[in-house]
Amino acid sequence: MAAYLIRRLLSMIPVLIGITIISFGVMKLAPGRPTDVMLDFNPKASVEARERMEQLLGLNQPLHAQYLNWLRRIVTLNFDRSFRYGRPVADMMLERLPITVTINVCALLLILGLAIPLGVMAAVRPGGWFDRLTTLVVFVGYSTPAFWLGLLGIAIFGVQLGWLPVSGLHALDAEAMSWVGRTFDVAHHLVLPVGIMTFVGLAGLSRYVRSGMVEVLRQDYIRTARAKGLPESAVLFRHGLRNALLPIITILGLSLPDLIAGGVVMETVFAIPGMGRLFYDAVMARDQNVVMALVTIGAGLTLLGNLLADLAYAYADPRIRVGKDQ
Amino acid sequence: MTEPVSRISYLVNRISRNTKYVIRNTAIGGFILVGLALIAVFAPWISPYDPLAVNLPDALLPPSAQYWLGTDLLGRDVLSRLVYGARISLVIGLIAVGVAVLIGTMVGLIAGYLGGRVDSVVMRFVDTMLAFPSIFLLLAVIAMLSPSIYNIMVVIGLTSWMGVARLVRAEVLTVKEREFVLAARTIGASTARIMLRHVLPNVVTPVLVAATLGVGGAILTESVLSYLGLGVQPPTPSWGNILNEGRVALGVAWWLTLTPGVCILVTVLAFNLLGEGLRERWRC
Repeated sequence: MAAYLIRRLLSMIPVLIGITIISFGVMKLAPGRPTDVMLDFNPKASVEARERMEQLLGLNQPLHAQYLNWLRRIVTLNFDRSFRYGRPVADMMLERLPITVTINVCALLLILGLAIPLGVMAAVRPGGWFDRLTTLVVFVGYSTPAFWLGLLGIAIFGVQLGWLPVSGLHALDAEAMSWVGRTFDVAHHLVLPVGIMTFVGLAGLSRYVRSGMVEVLRQDYIRTARAKGLPESAVLFRHGLRNALLPIITILGLSLPDLIAGGVVMETVFAIPGMGRLFYDAVMARDQNVVMALVTIGAGLTLLGNLLADLAYAYADPRIRVGKDQ
Repeated sequence: MTEPVSRISYLVNRISRNTKYVIRNTAIGGFILVGLALIAVFAPWISPYDPLAVNLPDALLPPSAQYWLGTDLLGRDVLSRLVYGARISLVIGLIAVGVAVLIGTMVGLIAGYLGGRVDSVVMRFVDTMLAFPSIFLLLAVIAMLSPSIYNIMVVIGLTSWMGVARLVRAEVLTVKEREFVLAARTIGASTARIMLRHVLPNVVTPVLVAATLGVGGAILTESVLSYLGLGVQPPTPSWGNILNEGRVALGVAWWLTLTPGVCILVTVLAFNLLGEGLRERWRC
């Protein structure tokens, strides 16, 4: 196990370096200078002032030197300051992280809670009416633009019926509310975005559970379990589902980067000040340090998620653990 | 003796019933796409009005006999804009996927067939590209290039070829062990010739399936980018930017939000039905 872990970590190094080069390159090759934003396109800013500013920020150095400086900073998790707001990028991210994490964790839990029973029910009779119905819903779910559902939700539940708030996280009078009141207020604001993310995410996961379960139910040990007279629920859930859920570990690992990237569109539609919205605003303002930090962290989380998934998989399935060590 | 036979006929019946649905779904997807293609090609004859003609007195009219799907904020006919939008969406989807398939097939073929160090370097690069959350990569690159129809096609292609590369590489790894490749090598065919004439034709089927599914994905991506204002730029109509313009009038003009979304949904659904149908059919 230790040897496997070390090999995995070593193989991540070139990919990590590639990630930093691409993140840095994409922003630095962009036309326009970051000092444009800082000096706010102020025509009064003299050439000298601009040069002083660029020197101060190290922007007049050759690209490779800038890259190495940046790399040296980010390995110590120092993401420098936003060109636009002059605040440390790390602070801006930490402010928004809880919001995006809350939304995505809520959606993920709902997706898991719904997708697993749906997938099992569809797998029990492949080709039956329930399977065909869920297949249809899955196809529609796959094909629906989530932001459009968001707009429809706003139009129907927000504007027409007036049941749900349509933007932001807090009501106007949130300041005056008690702790409990504020929590309910936030939850009220999250119903639509979380509900829509759940519907869209449900499609993929329930399909995975279904195909895993169909595969498992064909195995000999399922026939054995039935033959020895176990109740069907024990066959399905104790012998079937536990094995069918193994691949879900990988899916969970892969959803780790969604904790920061999953909300770009939804947060824009619902004006929620999370990480996704931060990214969108930074891209529009060409706030290089913010964009580079988020892109690098997003890609880093993918690697971390993959690694964690592999480890969890090996932990849950002894066959893999033994195989890898040989 | 009758028992097993009836079991088998039951199973066969079960399978053919499933196949029937698959064929039906594939046909539905295909029909919708043929219809859409016709609409896109004959857009100037089908659309009742000029999609760009501003007519302020008629702004924000609900659907009526005169304007079947209503008008937008500038009094332009929504139906005409949707018809022209079909052109934009289909062209962007097809070309973006074309770019992705071209790059992905080349990369996968080279990595899979040459193997060794080339393979590990190329696949590390693929891993690196896959690590980026795609929406981050798309937005960062688009903002760098400034949005236009051509740029989005290229950017969607450049950020979505990795799946094709992995698929092709995996197929090539099995195909290159087959006897006919060995035979070609023994008679002295060049590496390039073996790759293009002997290996490539054998990986076309799964690539075609992936490409069909990919067009749906590319159309969704285009609509998101256009909605965010980073895709097709107004006044050129695209389903995504009609949604963006409709957002302002969300409470009053439901037809501006409902109709483009339905167009996107139906189109993407058709590509998904066709792609999944072909996958079942060709067992890949």
